[in-house]
Amino acid sequence: MTGAPVYEALGQALDAQQERLLPCVHCGFCLPACPTYNRLGNEADSPRGRLHLMQAVVEGRLEPSSEAFRTHIDRCLGCRACEPVCPSGVEYGTLLELARETAAKAAPQGLPTRVLLKVLGNRALRSPFFFIGRLLRGTRLAALGATVLPSYGPLRAGRLVLAMLASTTRWQPMASGDAISGNTDSGSDDVSRRSRVAVLLGCVQEGLFTRINSATVRVLEANGYEVVLVEGQDCCGALHAHGGDLERARMLARTNIRVFEASGAEFIAVNAAGCGAAMKDYGTLLEGDPDFVQRAEEVALAVRDVSEILASSGPRIGASIPCKIAYDHPCHLLHAQGVEHAPITVLEAVPDAEVHIVTDAEECCGGAGIYGITHPELGGLIGGDKVAAVRACLADAVATPNPGCMMQIGAGLRLEASNEGVIHPVELLDESYQRAGFYRVRGAE
Amino acid sequence: MRVDLTDSLSRLLPEEAFGHSVPSSLWTALRTDVETVVAPGSAEEVATILKWASEMGVRVVPIGTGAHTYPRYPRDPFIVLTTSRLNEIQHYEPADLTMTASAGASIRDLSTEMATHGQWLPFDPPDVPNRTLGGLVATGLSGPLWAGYGQLRNHVLGATIVCGDGRALRLGGKVVKNVAGFDILKVMVGSRGELAVITSVTVRLFPLPVVDRLLVLEATDVSELVSTARAVATAPIMPASIILSATSDGGRLLVRLHGARVSVEADQKSLEKHTGVSFEVRNTPEAESLLVQERGSGIDTELVVRVWALPSRIGVLLDLLKQVPGVSLNADVYGGSVRAYLPVNLSDIESSLAGLQKDIEELGGTIRVLRIPAEVDASSYFAKPLVDEGELAAGLKRAFDPHAVLWGIE
Amino acid sequence: MYRLLEKTDEEPVASLLTGKVSSGMTRPLPSTVVSDLAKIVGHEHVITDPDRLLVYESDGLTAYRRPPRAVVLPSSTEEISAVVGLLHSNGIEVIPRGAGTGLSGGALTTPEGVIVGTARMNRILKIDVENRIAIAQPGVINARLTEATNPYGLYYAPDPSSQSTCTLGGNVAENSGGPHCLKYGVTARYITGLTVVLAGGQIVEIGGVGRDPYATLDLVGLFVGSEGCFGIATEIELRLLPITEGVRTLLGIFESVESAGRAVTKIIACGLMPAAVEIVDGPTIKAVEASVFAAGYPLEAGAALVIEFDGTEAGLDLDADRAEQCCLEEGAIEVQRATDPEHRVKLWRARKKAFGAMGRIAPDLLVQDATVPRTKLPEVLAGIDDIGNRYGLKIANVFHAGDGNLHPNILFDRQNQNELELVERASKEIMQLCVDAGGTITGEHGVGVDKRKYMTLVHGPAELEAMAAAKRVFDPASLFNPGKVLPEVEVKGATDTAKILATGE
Repeated sequence: MTGAPVYEALGQALDAQQERLLPCVHCGFCLPACPTYNRLGNEADSPRGRLHLMQAVVEGRLEPSSEAFRTHIDRCLGCRACEPVCPSGVEYGTLLELARETAAKAAPQGLPTRVLLKVLGNRALRSPFFFIGRLLRGTRLAALGATVLPSYGPLRAGRLVLAMLASTTRWQPMASGDAISGNTDSGSDDVSRRSRVAVLLGCVQEGLFTRINSATVRVLEANGYEVVLVEGQDCCGALHAHGGDLERARMLARTNIRVFEASGAEFIAVNAAGCGAAMKDYGTLLEGDPDFVQRAEEVALAVRDVSEILASSGPRIGASIPCKIAYDHPCHLLHAQGVEHAPITVLEAVPDAEVHIVTDAEECCGGAGIYGITHPELGGLIGGDKVAAVRACLADAVATPNPGCMMQIGAGLRLEASNEGVIHPVELLDESYQRAGFYRVRGAE
Repeated sequence: MRVDLTDSLSRLLPEEAFGHSVPSSLWTALRTDVETVVAPGSAEEVATILKWASEMGVRVVPIGTGAHTYPRYPRDPFIVLTTSRLNEIQHYEPADLTMTASAGASIRDLSTEMATHGQWLPFDPPDVPNRTLGGLVATGLSGPLWAGYGQLRNHVLGATIVCGDGRALRLGGKVVKNVAGFDILKVMVGSRGELAVITSVTVRLFPLPVVDRLLVLEATDVSELVSTARAVATAPIMPASIILSATSDGGRLLVRLHGARVSVEADQKSLEKHTGVSFEVRNTPEAESLLVQERGSGIDTELVVRVWALPSRIGVLLDLLKQVPGVSLNADVYGGSVRAYLPVNLSDIESSLAGLQKDIEELGGTIRVLRIPAEVDASSYFAKPLVDEGELAAGLKRAFDPHAVLWGIE
Repeated sequence: MYRLLEKTDEEPVASLLTGKVSSGMTRPLPSTVVSDLAKIVGHEHVITDPDRLLVYESDGLTAYRRPPRAVVLPSSTEEISAVVGLLHSNGIEVIPRGAGTGLSGGALTTPEGVIVGTARMNRILKIDVENRIAIAQPGVINARLTEATNPYGLYYAPDPSSQSTCTLGGNVAENSGGPHCLKYGVTARYITGLTVVLAGGQIVEIGGVGRDPYATLDLVGLFVGSEGCFGIATEIELRLLPITEGVRTLLGIFESVESAGRAVTKIIACGLMPAAVEIVDGPTIKAVEASVFAAGYPLEAGAALVIEFDGTEAGLDLDADRAEQCCLEEGAIEVQRATDPEHRVKLWRARKKAFGAMGRIAPDLLVQDATVPRTKLPEVLAGIDDIGNRYGLKIANVFHAGDGNLHPNILFDRQNQNELELVERASKEIMQLCVDAGGTITGEHGVGVDKRKYMTLVHGPAELEAMAAAKRVFDPASLFNPGKVLPEVEVKGATDTAKILATGE
């Protein structure tokens, strides 16, 4: 056994999760829900198979550093489509994170993963990183690169990254909403005053999708919510947890818990499905931290996807935007949070926007963080099926409330030279409100 | 072929086993003038007979009523084994909807008993008016009601059999769901006694329908009838049976609906809407006599063939068959089979059948001769034993009847 | 002469129940065989890494574990034929596997076996609307066939509880049932033809709609339910049914499981033909209500009876009224009726989620399966209750009451060695009880490896030899899924099997 002491430390992480592993009765209901199993047919690439490998590690029958364990744990998209179909309620997502941590400690992860997790978890590094991203996007170098780089060989990953970056540009038919800045009056005289809401700004959202954050604030205000800006908040830690860097994820979680509980907000609105799912799981993430677990659970209870908040009060109806929108479920909203209809309710608050659910919308788009880069073959296969399903809708734009999915689907469409835009549902509602004149810049009259 | 049994076999069996008679048509079909029949009174006696036959090198032809005779006769010495003395109801539990009876019990008698409890066995294959339970299972025929009730083989829950070498086996059980071991029972259903003699059978019964409605459509244009029949077979409701009978002059479509009055009425409406025709309704007893007539119409015909094809091809086959002068046809439009009752005055039966076979095979169907006049020796068309069709069937024959004692007839 | 049951000189199967785990190394395949397999199916579809093979060490019955020597995942009949031919010519045993959801250990490998999985054979090859048949590869998931045929107004009737994940090939092997087979029958009724790969790789076609079924023996009927011991079905022709117009679902709450059982008998006896009749007993209701799957059943209920009618819309209310009357006459506390899909799902919830819910309340669960004549249900249930009390084990019953198919679930904790012993003994007593009542040891889960020890309760040596003979016809060298279904010859110790062997000589 290589590095017995190391192994023991690692074994413990999963071992402590026996209670979570045991409910798995090996029934196999998760198999057809799993995008990797569906395409590969190997049970080691199914949720049941991965749980079995985890169990084998706990039982000391399998090395966490083994190629089999690392490969198959790594190859999971983390889409958690297996959770709703599990009759025994196995908490697969949590176990996966622990397995990833176990695997990562047993053998270092690939360079791109390590670099990305380091950068995203650190504000000082994050800011120049996304600045370069915005520069490439703004100068259209990203778009150009995605066109000229080859779709094979070592530059393939670069091509995908640039296409993802290029796809974060705003859907053209929408007015330049970024122009709205400063204090807005939501014209909400006729809207009843509602609770205080804090907004998670996130790392990728803040870096590449500031317009979605702005739209979130405006739309909430237009529906009567009092939005408080929470200083000192950080990346939610989702990507770190998924990547097996649970320590950094816990560190980020503690930071967020401190600032959000101090904000006095009743709800924490999250506009990225992955972040929302992670924050709703803060209690589990910090269950080994007696000082924080209670606080984590309370903060987690306040977390809502922005669509949940809007749907619960029935969003105000905005102005007409005649268009056809294809909606795709982010896995971390549908499977991890169980939110199915709320984002559609948001889209339906836009008169004349015709919403179509993408065929097999419940299946992962293959985005899964940086999956497309780390697993180009399989990620491409899964992404290809999603892009085909989106294109089959013949829609003007595809809406999906998660930045990773937006970039993955957006890149796929771009690389196929397909013209659909990619939007967050809140963006469309925001545009609709703007056309309705809900936002009058104060003092402009 | 001559077999003198009185000596060796009579010492092994009680007197009651001898002196029984069978329909004379059987002897004609079997081409024999030595009429040797043995009627065992128990499964043990069946075993005694089969062991004796194995030792003596005598073949055994097991029969139920002996009325339905597949024209394939043994050339070695043989005896006929009738199950007529095995005729009691062994177990009937109406609340379980199951009945166990000896193989020789007549379906008619069993049905009378079932009816007193509002139950029945919904299988009514044509031609033989009063089959035995064992005979029904041995032929495996379900009759047209399988459209609504599924095939007979799925409702035979258990059986006791005696294999060709005298081994007695108890197969299946008394329960509807049973997967304890390989399903040998299934191969016994429809095995015509080639593998074993069936001595008792447990069947699943059904509640008698509250309403049994017969919808009738008569027409001179058979093609039109066929398309209506196919429309019925592909309708969203499932009739209990769909029978189409035809001659060159026209035909009749009989559709049976079973269920509560309201649902039968709704089903009729939906069928009429789906097919665009309106049916005449016949009620019992008129309906009953029509069905009996339909079932028994060909009983005396000496030349009968059965044609199988995909159900969607039935129309094409009927178009072909109705051109045979004097033919009478009876089609299971849902399952895809046609019985053709052919006139025996066909000038040359052998070449006519050969021609028919060629045409039918060209249309994607298969033909099998069920009955043929004794004087015709058309062995190439009908003398195919069940078990020569492939290694697997032959292997099973060897496994259950290692000395090839049993000679199955249909 | 009783010679069928070849002794496999294996160690006892490692068992979670006994706390033992197979630790011995599996003998790797010769490298030439591996490379030849890779030539047939592609190297990525031949799994030989011992670590990866761990995930194939169990099917849905985790009490038995043993990793195969390799797993091969072919994608066509021709590939399966070549793979089977190659393995058999090397004397290597073939263990067919679908989704690995079986509950009798049917897909457990032998020490020398190679698993041939059908996961990649998941295409529906043909839907013939006019003749109401479909042809599917064996890896197609049961529910997918119904989804694919629904647009044509058709569906595939057999609906095992695992239909969202189990494969049609597995259904053929196990002759699977399901709640609605009360009215519609089990898998065997719907399989009309098969393409089968036999020992040595020979491809044969048996049955088929449009071919004269009376021209030969019913080989399809024999193959269905042969648990992978005869060959691998590589193309399956299935009969489809038209979607029924309407559905009525009733939920009757009873004080005792006996009164619910009597209501079932009454419903069937009065001539009704329900599509499904299911009972969930008191302990199960408590388990479900305590879990995340709570369905709102009253906790004090002794049993819940789910009855479903389907068919022509017009007759359904009448049927439902009569069934409701039967329930009330037998003392039902209340009867609910659903007409819309949402309410129907709610009434079914406790039944469908029962196993998962029990998995949450007890560390371990043994799902048993046996069938008794319907009229014997009350006495058999009382007997099971008595067995549970005597052994101090909690037994919860969830079952297909309409056709007498019981699923007594024994709850236990595998850490407790003493309890394991009791579970084993209680199981055997339950089997004996069911057999004595005129029933059988398995209604739908199959014999596999787990119930071989009970086969002698229902079959004598002659019957077992006949089954073995049938297997030899299909698989003379016994290379397909050996060590399943038929009980093993026990050389050591005077077991029941050995006694039977003695009399069979």
